Amino acid sequence: MLKVLVPTLMLFPTIWLSSPKWLWPTATAQSLLIAFISLAWLKWASETGWSTSNMYLATDPLSTPLLVLTCWLLPLMILASQNHIYSEPVSRQRLYITLLASLQTFLIMAFGATEVIMFYIMFEATLIPTLIIITRWGNQTERLNAGTYFLFYTLAGSLPLLVALLLLQQTTGTLSMLILQYSQPLTLDTWGHSIWWAGCLIAFLVKMPLYGVHLWLPKAHVEAPVAGSMVLAAVLLKLGGYGMMRMMIMLDPLSKELAYPFIILALWGILMTGSICLRQTDLKSLIAYSSVSHMGLVAGGILIQTPWGFTGAIILMIAHGLVSSALFCLANTAYERTHSRTMLLARGLQMVFPLTAVWWFIANLANLALPPLPNLMGEIMIITTLFSWSPWTIVLTGLGTLITAAYSLYLFLMTQRGPAPNHIKGLSPFHTREHLLMVLHLIPVILLVAKPELVWGWCH
Amino acid sequence: MASRLSRIWPVVSRVRWSSALGTRCVSQTPKSSAAGAAVVSDLQPVSPALQDSHGHTEVNPFETNPDFHGFHHHDSFVDEWNMRLAFFFGISVAIVIGGTFIHYLPDHGMRQWARREAERLIKQREAEGLPLMTENYYEPGKIILPSSGDE
Repeated sequence: MLKVLVPTLMLFPTIWLSSPKWLWPTATAQSLLIAFISLAWLKWASETGWSTSNMYLATDPLSTPLLVLTCWLLPLMILASQNHIYSEPVSRQRLYITLLASLQTFLIMAFGATEVIMFYIMFEATLIPTLIIITRWGNQTERLNAGTYFLFYTLAGSLPLLVALLLLQQTTGTLSMLILQYSQPLTLDTWGHSIWWAGCLIAFLVKMPLYGVHLWLPKAHVEAPVAGSMVLAAVLLKLGGYGMMRMMIMLDPLSKELAYPFIILALWGILMTGSICLRQTDLKSLIAYSSVSHMGLVAGGILIQTPWGFTGAIILMIAHGLVSSALFCLANTAYERTHSRTMLLARGLQMVFPLTAVWWFIANLANLALPPLPNLMGEIMIITTLFSWSPWTIVLTGLGTLITAAYSLYLFLMTQRGPAPNHIKGLSPFHTREHLLMVLHLIPVILLVAKPELVWGWCH
Repeated sequence: MASRLSRIWPVVSRVRWSSALGTRCVSQTPKSSAAGAAVVSDLQPVSPALQDSHGHTEVNPFETNPDFHGFHHHDSFVDEWNMRLAFFFGISVAIVIGGTFIHYLPDHGMRQWARREAERLIKQREAEGLPLMTENYYEPGKIILPSSGDE
């Protein structure tokens, strides 16, 4: 754990002490080295459970894929931001990369935490750099509104979580996940206990997001600069999923009935947000709603609490993280050239950028869950487990899959196919940096086809 | 002097002096619309909307540095080295060496062993004509049940 955390903390001196010319190359190289070292976490020392050298930070097959994803994403964020930040003064560039690196540190500590309060503190701590990135570097005036929604939705959900955790500490005497997994099941029979159950989960449901409380997501994703959108879509949403999976162990007997409305809300959300995607004119907004749709499926899989549900949820979280981030990067390349997110204004790009059309194609195919990519594996496992819970869910999930395919295809056709518009006189050629960025997103997704047991979690 | 020149003339004549001196040649062949669309046309007058607050316009970085990789706008040396570092650490180290490391990870939870063992046992039992698996997991004779009746 320290072999990744210390280099990440050392990124701060690198950022502030590099000469302005070499700031971005050194930050990129160091963060890629950190990502390489983080792959060592994939060698789990024990057959089951946590691999740890101390009591406070540990990894297990659930948190490891998310940790590797977090570490992989930092260099990608740095690569993606390099172009739109270059015109700013150097100290502001350093501040930007510092915010990204601090997000990385908080996320590593969040996913590696064994104590639930440490996880909570890091969960809240990630809000601050993200808020600063959205409100300071967003491009439209709506960014202030977006930051407000983002901050207060999450805080409103997490204050009950704090109370619930402190109550749990009072009852069980410990909040270490290493111990809680072996504790006796709690007797949860009163209304107060039901409210406690809801308090434990609402913060994570808001973060995922669940359909009814998802309003912050389209705003935050759209108004954030590309690195903000990437980290939000790829990792911060998964904090919610990860938190839910950890908390489920303690909540057990109540969850059998109380999870019902949330599962239905999640499934209905897939259909609703998928349909909203089909009506979007804003490119980033479409990708944001598609994130809500996929996360609805993940939420359903986690609330079901079966091994297949959990496994499918983890696979889908990792695969969606990479693919969604890839789509945001592609949308940013179009935005940097046309300074507009409206899909109608930048279409027919296949004629202009043929290689980029390949990346758009692969990213959209992955988004619509094409076999054998891990997106499909996750979705199928969740759909199967939901079906075994209730056969009627196949109507919702099947329609959801259909609508997902429809809007992914819509996205591809709108941006790539057709004639290039007459009002665009010239588009700057694609940079090597942008091609590398797409390759670094899509190659891990494709490689996961070969070794999916890395992301199966600890249920299989 | 003339003999020296005649020796190096083939090389010298092949150098594109115009590009070396920094001026641009205008190609006389008519461009297809696809190629034209991919190049920023400098035939349009620069509108005030394209200028930032200092009066600078959006300059196409490919004009000053045809080998622009997207990393550093003004210094081609840093741009090139940034590209090399990103590719080396990103692809050669992280994906290739990291991928090799992942490929050779031990068989966690003995899953692959379990699959191979099952296939081996199936093959063995089919060859011997034995049933693949016994119906009872526990031996029925060893299970001691409490007697029925009131306790």
